[in-house]
Parts: sequence; structure tokens; C-alpha cells
Amino acid sequence: MTGTPLSESWINRLNIVQLVLAGFLIMVPTAWMVLSSFKPSFEVTAYPPTLVFSPTLENYVQLMRTTPFFSYAVNSLIVTLGSAGLGLLFGIPAAFAVSWTRISWPAILTLAARMAPGTLFLLPWYVMFRQVGMIGSYTALILSHAVITLPIVIWVLLPSFDNIPRSIFEAAQVDGCSITRILWKIALPLVGSGVAVAAILSFVFSWNYFLFALVLSNGDSKTLIAAAFNFVGEGSTQWGALMAAATLIALPPLILASIVQRWLVAGLTLGAVKG
Amino acid sequence: MAYAANAVTPDRQRAELVALSAPAVAFTLAMIAFPVVYTVWLGFHAFSSTGTQSFVGLGNYSKLVADNEFWHGLWVTLALYVLSLVLQLLLGTWLALLLFHAKRLPGVVRSLFISPFMMPPVVAGLMWLVILDPSIGAANYILQRMGLPPSDWLASPIWVIPTVAMIDTWQWAPYVALIILGGLQSLPPSVYEAAQIDGASAFKTFRRITLPLLLPTIVTATILRSVDLLRFFDIIYITTQGGPGNASNTLNIYGFRVGFEFFNIGYASALMLTLTAIVFGVVLAFNRLRGAVAW
Repeated sequence: MTGTPLSESWINRLNIVQLVLAGFLIMVPTAWMVLSSFKPSFEVTAYPPTLVFSPTLENYVQLMRTTPFFSYAVNSLIVTLGSAGLGLLFGIPAAFAVSWTRISWPAILTLAARMAPGTLFLLPWYVMFRQVGMIGSYTALILSHAVITLPIVIWVLLPSFDNIPRSIFEAAQVDGCSITRILWKIALPLVGSGVAVAAILSFVFSWNYFLFALVLSNGDSKTLIAAAFNFVGEGSTQWGALMAAATLIALPPLILASIVQRWLVAGLTLGAVKG
Repeated sequence: MAYAANAVTPDRQRAELVALSAPAVAFTLAMIAFPVVYTVWLGFHAFSSTGTQSFVGLGNYSKLVADNEFWHGLWVTLALYVLSLVLQLLLGTWLALLLFHAKRLPGVVRSLFISPFMMPPVVAGLMWLVILDPSIGAANYILQRMGLPPSDWLASPIWVIPTVAMIDTWQWAPYVALIILGGLQSLPPSVYEAAQIDGASAFKTFRRITLPLLLPTIVTATILRSVDLLRFFDIIYITTQGGPGNASNTLNIYGFRVGFEFFNIGYASALMLTLTAIVFGVVLAFNRLRGAVAW
């Protein structure tokens, strides 16, 4: 900061070189996965690895032919949308009530789910769901994934609700508005971007979650993430098809996350950091 | 008063607030609080292969203390935790400073930084599995071209922990960077101006001003990463499942396998409660530290 303009421009240049290098390191593994998915299958496992090849959709065709990829995708969508919807449905009014009353224990209790290892819940759930014959059901999967989405919704929306000036609510109350009406008609429209971030983060983390579906799903209700794990083991692994599957599975969260990239990190830290 | 007839009574208001939070509270009690209490109960019982259960008191916990696999798992968990955390904090701070001094942060760059940690960990595991394959992987090809001996990476009992730490660092160092960038952007510019007037060098400014002011943010990032790293599961389960041998058998992986591969639900419950206590202990400790470094 004290240098002459010349040394400062040098530092800037050095900065950019380092940034480009870091960006390169971040990008290369993903790019390699996508490239591999378009390689002819014999070239995926070629050594030395090839960079130049004639791209083909062969791996994608093989993936669709040999696995019920589409029905796994439907399972993932049902579980993800169901749990994100449930999280929003329960989380929005709860976050509003917590923000209104400043009674925070319900919100803190949901944080336990963010901190404890998933297996801690999975053990009793497994025993409970087995007793009522719900292993493999969408209901069990949606309920378990809602444990991921509910804290996200509450903790993303809490600061947004807190930021609304109380005088707006008081004015509405004087006009005889009930709290429920204030939430839906006044507060919710004001925190639109917060709801979008909460919805997208819920979708992404529910879609990405692995552990619960590993135990609570069966052949018919398996999510893409749990199915991808099985692709590795089945006989001689088809690396090309596997990379095609990995690419397709990563696509929805990456696209959604890039929509809200500006607010995403603040949302992810559950209100601990303002991005 | 004309308004009084319209105004909502406190009783009605309270009823409404209860109704608003009731679904979330009921859900939390049913899916989080009750299951945890149930796990405590399970931890006091032993389950035979035929499904019968018997009360064993603290038997599962005395078994745990005598279980070499538990102590090994604890060591693996802590080694992976410390290694990953240090790597992610160092690289994250470095990246954050680069981004901060770049002044402008185009959406493309932010999206690029977000992409690793928005990706499913399972996909990250699969992707690195191919890159690090000992016989066909690109990583060994690069080593070979640089004149270095090839590595077995995930298949090596010695290198598996550093390799998993590297994969997790690739995924989460950008996240730490964006958190710390947020902290840098919220620092008051006036202190820098003062330092500049005093003629402090760039390094001294960083060490004496930026770093201390940034500490609360760094501790926050530490807490957020600690929670995930101490219960490390996805990437290991997809790539090594705790192997080779038991070289990457973290407590979470070990507990999962005891519970769902050997169906020893009682002992698995004891293991998971112990791990949960460790996670909460670390979070509480860092939370106190955050209080101490706050400004």
C-alpha cells in the first residue's frame, strides 16, 4: 500500500496471476469429469490420458440404456421438492414467529440437526420407520430430508424478517390485521429474495444429501445420489457412463446455485456472516 | 377509541404465534428431539442378530473404551479434521485476500468459486476417484511427467487421509474464502487510512490490523467447517468406505457400519452419541473463542 505506482501495478499483476491459477485449480477436476463423459468409452480409461478426442454421446446413451436413470431422477425430484416444500411450509411461519417474539429456542433446536452427525438420527429413524413399515417410502425420505431443509429455511429467513422495520407491522396491527395476515400480505412480499435463497439452498442440500437415502430408500425409491454410489460397485465399473451420470447429477444444484450466487454464502452460514 | 375494537387482543396474538410455529416445533420434536432421546435409550441396550434386545446399562460405553477400532476411528477423525481445517483456513484466507484486492468480483468468478461446494459430495468423490486412479488416473500421469514417482492416493494406507483432506479442501476452501471475503469487506476503511498515514508496510498492516480484525470471521468459518469435518462421511464412503483396511475409518463411517452393516444398533448409538458430544464440545469451545476475539 506504500509502494510507488510501478510496484503497485506489479503487485496487481501478481495478484491476477495467482487468481487465475486458483481458478484453474478449482475448475480443472470438474472440467475433467465433463470432458470424460463425452469421450469414447475406450478413451476414458486410456493411459496416458487424452485431451483431444472426437466427442460422443455414447456414455450418456449407455447410461440411459443400462440403468433406470430417469426413474431415479424422478425419485430425487419427488424427495427434493417434497422436503424443500415441507421446509418452506413449516419454516416460513416459524421464522416469522421467532423473529416476532424473539423466543429463539425452536430455531436453536433445529440447529442441532445441522451439527449432529446424520447417523445419530438415522439409527432411531431406521428402527421407527421399520416398525411402521415405511422403509423405502417417499414419506420417510421426504420427512428425513426435511430435517436438512427446515433449519436452512428458518436461519436464512430469520435475518430477513428481523430487518423489516417493526413500525410497518404495528401500523397494520392498528388497522386490525392479524399476525398471520401480516406475514402473508406484508412481510413475505418484502423478503422475496430471502425466500428464493432459502428455497434454492433447500433444494440443493436435499438433492445432494446422501446418507439418509442410503438406508431409508429401496430399489423403487432410490435417489440419484444413492444410485450413483451403486454404479461404482456393479461389476466392472463403466467409467464413461459413471462420469456421464456424475455430470447430470451435478447439473441441477450448480445451475440453481449460480442464480442466487450473490446471496448464497450469507445464507449458507445460517446468519453468522453477512456476505 | 375507534381503533380499539379492531385491534388484536394479546391473547389472540399469542394463540396466533403459537399456531405459526406449531408445525415446525411439532416436526422438530418428532424428527429430531424424540429420536435423539430414543438413541440414548438404544445406547443402553444390546441387540442380538435375532432382533431381541436386552438392557446392558453402560455396557456399550465400557465396550467403547476398550474398543481399539473406536480409538483408531477417533484418531482418523481428528487427523482428517485438523489437516483439512488448517489447509482450508490457509488457502481460504489466501484466496479471500486475492479476491478482495481484485476489487471487482464478476458473477462468473463467484459462480466458479461456488461450484465445488454446491456440487454433491458424492459427485466430487466420483470425479476424484477417476482422476486419482492409481493405474489410469490423470494425477499419476502428471506426477510421471514431472519426474515424480506415482502414488496410490486413495488406495494407500498412508496417503488416504491427506488425499481425502485434499479433496475436501478442493471442495470447501472456496467457501471459507467467500466467508472471509465477507469479513474483509465489512472492515472499516478508516483503520487502513490511519495505517497508511503511519507508513506501515503492507505485511505489517496485514499482521497487526487485518488479521486481528478478521479473527471473529475466521473463527466463524472454523466452527462451520468443524461441524462438517468432524462427521466426515460422504466422500470417504463413496471412495474408500473406510479403507484401505481401516485407514480412513472415521467415527461416523465406523458408527454407520456398526449400525447398518452389522446391525449392532445399541453399540452404534453409543458411538454416535460420543461423536455428537465431541462435535458439540468443539463448537462450544470455538464459540467461546469467538466471544474472546470479538471487537
